[in-house]
Amino acid sequence: MINYLLICRSLTYAQRVAKALENSGISAVVMRTPYEISSQGCGYSVKISEKRFSQAIVVLKTAGLSPLKVYTLYSDGHVMEAKGK
Amino acid sequence: MIYLDNAATTFVKPDSVRRAVMHAMNSYSSPGRGGYKYAMDAAEMTFRCRERAAKLFGVDEPEKIIFTFNATHALNMAINSLVSPGDRVVISGYEHNSVVRPLYRLGAKLSIASAGVFDADGMVSAFSEHITENTKAVICNHVSNVFGFILPVERIADICRQRGVPFILDASQSAGAVKINAKALNADFIAMPGHKGLYGPQGTGLLICKDGGEPIMQGGTGSNSLSYDMPGFLPDRLEAGTHNIPGIAGLLAGMEFVSGRSEERILHHERALISLLGNELKRIPKIKSFYSEERDLQAGVLSFTAEGVPGELVGEKLNQMGIAVRTGLHCSPLAHSTGGTIETGTVRVSVSYFNTTNDIYALVRGLKRIVKQ
Repeated sequence: MINYLLICRSLTYAQRVAKALENSGISAVVMRTPYEISSQGCGYSVKISEKRFSQAIVVLKTAGLSPLKVYTLYSDGHVMEAKGK
Repeated sequence: MIYLDNAATTFVKPDSVRRAVMHAMNSYSSPGRGGYKYAMDAAEMTFRCRERAAKLFGVDEPEKIIFTFNATHALNMAINSLVSPGDRVVISGYEHNSVVRPLYRLGAKLSIASAGVFDADGMVSAFSEHITENTKAVICNHVSNVFGFILPVERIADICRQRGVPFILDASQSAGAVKINAKALNADFIAMPGHKGLYGPQGTGLLICKDGGEPIMQGGTGSNSLSYDMPGFLPDRLEAGTHNIPGIAGLLAGMEFVSGRSEERILHHERALISLLGNELKRIPKIKSFYSEERDLQAGVLSFTAEGVPGELVGEKLNQMGIAVRTGLHCSPLAHSTGGTIETGTVRVSVSYFNTTNDIYALVRGLKRIVKQ
C-alpha cells in the first residue's frame, strides 16, 4: 500500500493541514517526519492515502496551505520524493 | 474565605479546569518531541487550545496564538519585538509595571497619554495628541488593574491604524470578560494572562501576533533543529523550550468555560457586583471610591480609600474577617499617579464570575465596622 507524506514546517502547521483534510473527509495522520528525509533535522508530516492525494491537494490549495515537500511512503518503509507533486 | 482579589488571579477555578490539569498530568508528555501516543495526544490538546483561543479572540490562524507563561512574558516579547533603545513610545497613564519596566530597561522615551479616571474621551484626545510621526509604538491597557477603567482601545487602535503606528494591547484584566476581536483591532500584539479572566492555572498566558515577533528566549522547538537560529515561523519562533502542558490543558478548559457562558454574561455579572459595591460604598462615611455609574466604563475592579485608615490596615482587618482584597500600589505606580492615589495606594476589590452579592454585602459590613473603629 502506498501513502503520501506531506512534509510540514512545524507540528502546528501539520496539525492545520490534517484538520483541513479531516474536515473534508480525508483521513490524515500527523506523524514525525522520517529523519532521513527531514532537511531541517526534526519535523512533522501528514500521512494520507494515495487514492485521496489529488483531492487533498485541492483542499489544501483552497485552504491556503502548502506542504514543504511531498514524499511517497511505500509499505516497506521506503520513502522517495514525489517529484512534480 | 471570601476571595475578592481576582485581578491578581482567579482563585476559584471551574471544576473542569482542575480536572483538565489532573488529566494532563496523567496523560500527556511533551508535544513536538516524540511521535508516540503521549506526545501526539499532548500535541492534539495543544492545538485545540490554540484553536479555541483563535475563535475566542477573532484570529484566523491558530499559529498566531503563542503560549507564554503569563501576561508579563507576553508583553516583554511584544515590546522587545517593536521597541529599540531610545525609541519613542506612547503609553496610557494606567500602565502596569509589566509594560513600564521593560520600556524603562530598554531606555525608551516614554510619552504618557493621560486623562482622569473614567474619562474615555479625554484618553482618546490624549493619545491623538501624543502619537506623532516619531512614535515607534503605542501600548495601552484595556482595563486598568487599579481602577477597573475600561479604556477606549478601539478608538485608540483606530488612531494607530490611521497613522501607521504599531499597537500593543495589554488585555490582562479584560480577556474573558470584555470582548476582544483581534482582527477588528488590528493590534500588532495582544497580551493576556491565562490565569485571570480565562480561568486557567497560573503559569499560563497568551500572546496574539498579527504577523511575526522577536523571541526573548532561544532554545529547542522540535523544528528546524539543524539550524542554530530560532525558526522564522510562528508559533515556534516565540515558543522555545518545554510548554506548561498541564497549564495549557487547564487554560483550554478555562476558555471553554468562558465561551460556554459568553464574555457578555460574565461581564454583566461582574459589573452588577461592582455596581452594588459602588453604591453601597457611597453610603459609608470616609470611604472614597473610584466608581462609575456608566457601566461601559468600568469592569470588575474597584478601588477605594478610607479616610484616616491606611489601606494596609483595612486589608489586614478584612483578612481577619475572612475577606481577601489587595492593597498598596498593585504594581501600577503610574496608574496611581494618574488617579491621584500614589501617596496612599488604594484598597482594591476585584470580582469574578464566582463572586456573589453575599460576598459584596459581607465586604460592606466589614468596612462599616472598620471605619467605625
